[in-house]
Amino acid sequence: MKKIDTTKLKNIVGGHNIKTDPADLYIYGSDSSVHHAMPWAIVRPETTLQVQKIMKYANDQIIPVVARGGGSGMCGQTVPIQGGIILDMKKMNRILEINLEDVYCRVEPGVVDDDLNLALKQYGVFYPPTPASSRIATIGGEIANNASGVRSVKYGATRDAVLGMKVVMANGDLVSLGAHTRVEASGYQLHKLLVGSEGTLGIVVEATLSFVPIPEFRCMGVANFDVLKDAGEAIGSIMASGATPSMLELMDSVAIKAVNKTMDLGLKEVAAVLIFEADGMVKEAVDYEINKMKKICEKHNGQDIHASYDPKERAKIFLGRKKLFPALSKYDDNLASTALADDMAVPYSKMAEMAGKIHEIAAKNNIIMTAYGHCGSGCMHTKILMDTKRKDQWDSAKKAITQVYDYVRSVGGTTSAEHGIGISKAESFKIEKSDSLNLSAGIKKAFDPNNILNPGKLAQAPEDWVTATNLRYSVNS
Amino acid sequence: MENKIKEFKHLEKWQGTLANCIRCGYCFEHCPMFHHTGWESDAPRAKIITAFGLLEGEIEPSEAAADKMFSCFYCKRCEAACSSGVPLTEIFTDAKKDLVEMGLKGPGTTSITELYCARCLLCVGACPHEARFYDGKGIATDPAKCQACGICIEVCPAGAAKIENHFGTAKDDLIERASTFLTTHESSKAIIFACNWSYYPELQASVLPESETREKAYEILVNMCGGRLEAHLLMAPFLHNAWGVMAAVCPDGECQHDGNLRAKKIVESLHNTFKSIDINPERVRLVQIPAGDKTLFQAEIDTFMDKLNKMGPIR
Repeated sequence: MKKIDTTKLKNIVGGHNIKTDPADLYIYGSDSSVHHAMPWAIVRPETTLQVQKIMKYANDQIIPVVARGGGSGMCGQTVPIQGGIILDMKKMNRILEINLEDVYCRVEPGVVDDDLNLALKQYGVFYPPTPASSRIATIGGEIANNASGVRSVKYGATRDAVLGMKVVMANGDLVSLGAHTRVEASGYQLHKLLVGSEGTLGIVVEATLSFVPIPEFRCMGVANFDVLKDAGEAIGSIMASGATPSMLELMDSVAIKAVNKTMDLGLKEVAAVLIFEADGMVKEAVDYEINKMKKICEKHNGQDIHASYDPKERAKIFLGRKKLFPALSKYDDNLASTALADDMAVPYSKMAEMAGKIHEIAAKNNIIMTAYGHCGSGCMHTKILMDTKRKDQWDSAKKAITQVYDYVRSVGGTTSAEHGIGISKAESFKIEKSDSLNLSAGIKKAFDPNNILNPGKLAQAPEDWVTATNLRYSVNS
Repeated sequence: MENKIKEFKHLEKWQGTLANCIRCGYCFEHCPMFHHTGWESDAPRAKIITAFGLLEGEIEPSEAAADKMFSCFYCKRCEAACSSGVPLTEIFTDAKKDLVEMGLKGPGTTSITELYCARCLLCVGACPHEARFYDGKGIATDPAKCQACGICIEVCPAGAAKIENHFGTAKDDLIERASTFLTTHESSKAIIFACNWSYYPELQASVLPESETREKAYEILVNMCGGRLEAHLLMAPFLHNAWGVMAAVCPDGECQHDGNLRAKKIVESLHNTFKSIDINPERVRLVQIPAGDKTLFQAEIDTFMDKLNKMGPIR
């Protein structure tokens, strides 16, 4: 561990914006993933100039810097695997401009997603990426992970909404990337490269984001399936039909049981449900989309299909879906829900097979896994429910994860659709991207020659995620 | 570091539950401490992580770690919002019991007693959690039992009961914030004091552009529990030309500290005072909001503002 010059850092951000007590460091050593590692200091900048000074100091001293938003990452992106400074960006939380004429807003990275949408709502517009964690996730964190969510099937992910940004580079220089325009043809589109780079290329200190009108009409449907495969095939058919759902979600029996138990959602406890939504400014157009999706569900043996425009009914199901991740911990009191192998994507035609594969692999390895996700955008989530005290369960989880990713890659899928790679998914990521890893390493070197920006993540992460850091669980030996 | 379970005999039973917290952080928005400081290490998730670290021997039972466990107002909003069903405050209390046995007592948000206490014992009788007692020398607080509701502060005639680490909820702090709002916004008309149950957070942690807040007519200030409302606090905004003050508390039978009953008495008394000086008593209004009923809370604010607009400023 290098000695940090806390006096220098205090001079930059003020004594009230730095923490070095082990009790604080321990807390900032974890996020929503299975990992834990101790940082050396927590520093909370309030201005771009402060970020520049911190980076200059860190670059001169070769001290790792890990930018952190809400700490809701699920793969260990903000876990300081090599120690260093945690740059807590939550104080840079100002919504700087809402420009209705040019259809963009400018925000600092610590602005919370839902807060931004609350501010935009009064103007009849919204920022669409909306991950399930939008009540805590910051825009900076969402940019770092190219976050997306239930509405991405229609409105795209974070990368689609980012028009430009200001970035503090590893050496403290400030650069402006992108523009305030919808299109930009020339150059390398570096702002798009920063999206999804998990804090390894620069510190975003301001983002220009596009927004879209809030639709006048939203209708949500629920279809029940006795066979998981049928639900998976219905997803593929809906997407291939040219329908434009604003939400198309799968929940299997494990997910249904968990949300019913936690939130009294009243979903039928069948093999799977599909939740589908259409939105638009013209009711007839929304009706058309909903009916189209209903018919496809019926064709694939969907039963008791019900659709509603009622905002209360829609909100209840929507909230249930948003809280599914924490709810999974209530599936069985003896099992914890762990964020592992949790967000792969496969082509639509493989969605049914993928869902079945998850259950097959879980049974083979004697653990419980659930299949759910924003399947309309190709994203399949799973979580591993296990007794985290038992070492054999971790061994089983490791085997299961390898098998899941082997399947995903074999059908042309990708390791992470929206949660990122961090530490947990590096093994599969490196296999998937094996022929471009040198290219990525060159880009990283160009942005961050001293490798101080979130080192040890993505392609730099250790192969074995179980031993990469301390696990944040207590595991019996 | 060696396993510390044997030293944490109260906390030990929560070992499995601590693993069940998936650390999603959805509790942040409900915590008044996180709202005030913006530090993750003050949010409920941080206390769960600390409890885990203490139990597993990954962090030492230090004053800093103890201070986190002892800093909680027991509003229990985090607990109600937790989809993983983690009974956060029960875990905090058990951790506190163990820490007290190790000689670590915070202070955190535990109420204390200044030397000039008159030993009238009013606070002992009023404490809904039986945390205050006479120890033969003076009034003491059991830090494991104290839930920082602040009732002792409200009943103390000498002003000797205090919560030093108040996270922006102390009377002076609230008065200053009310004054700042009223004196910096030409459009300002009212202050709304809300307990942490009647208020549902809007913006969690972000700041709106100045242009969005310039025309604000009212400011909502969270005072944790209705039991902490005092006549002086409710009257203070009128010194800065407020048109009215509203207080939001829990419905009858729903406040875990019975603070709503105290708030009712204070507002009734203020109504009488207003009548005696010929000011419309409706300028001070008390409303009772069921937990998290955001719609009703906003409707009550809108109704109150309509009334104030009809009444106009106090002349």
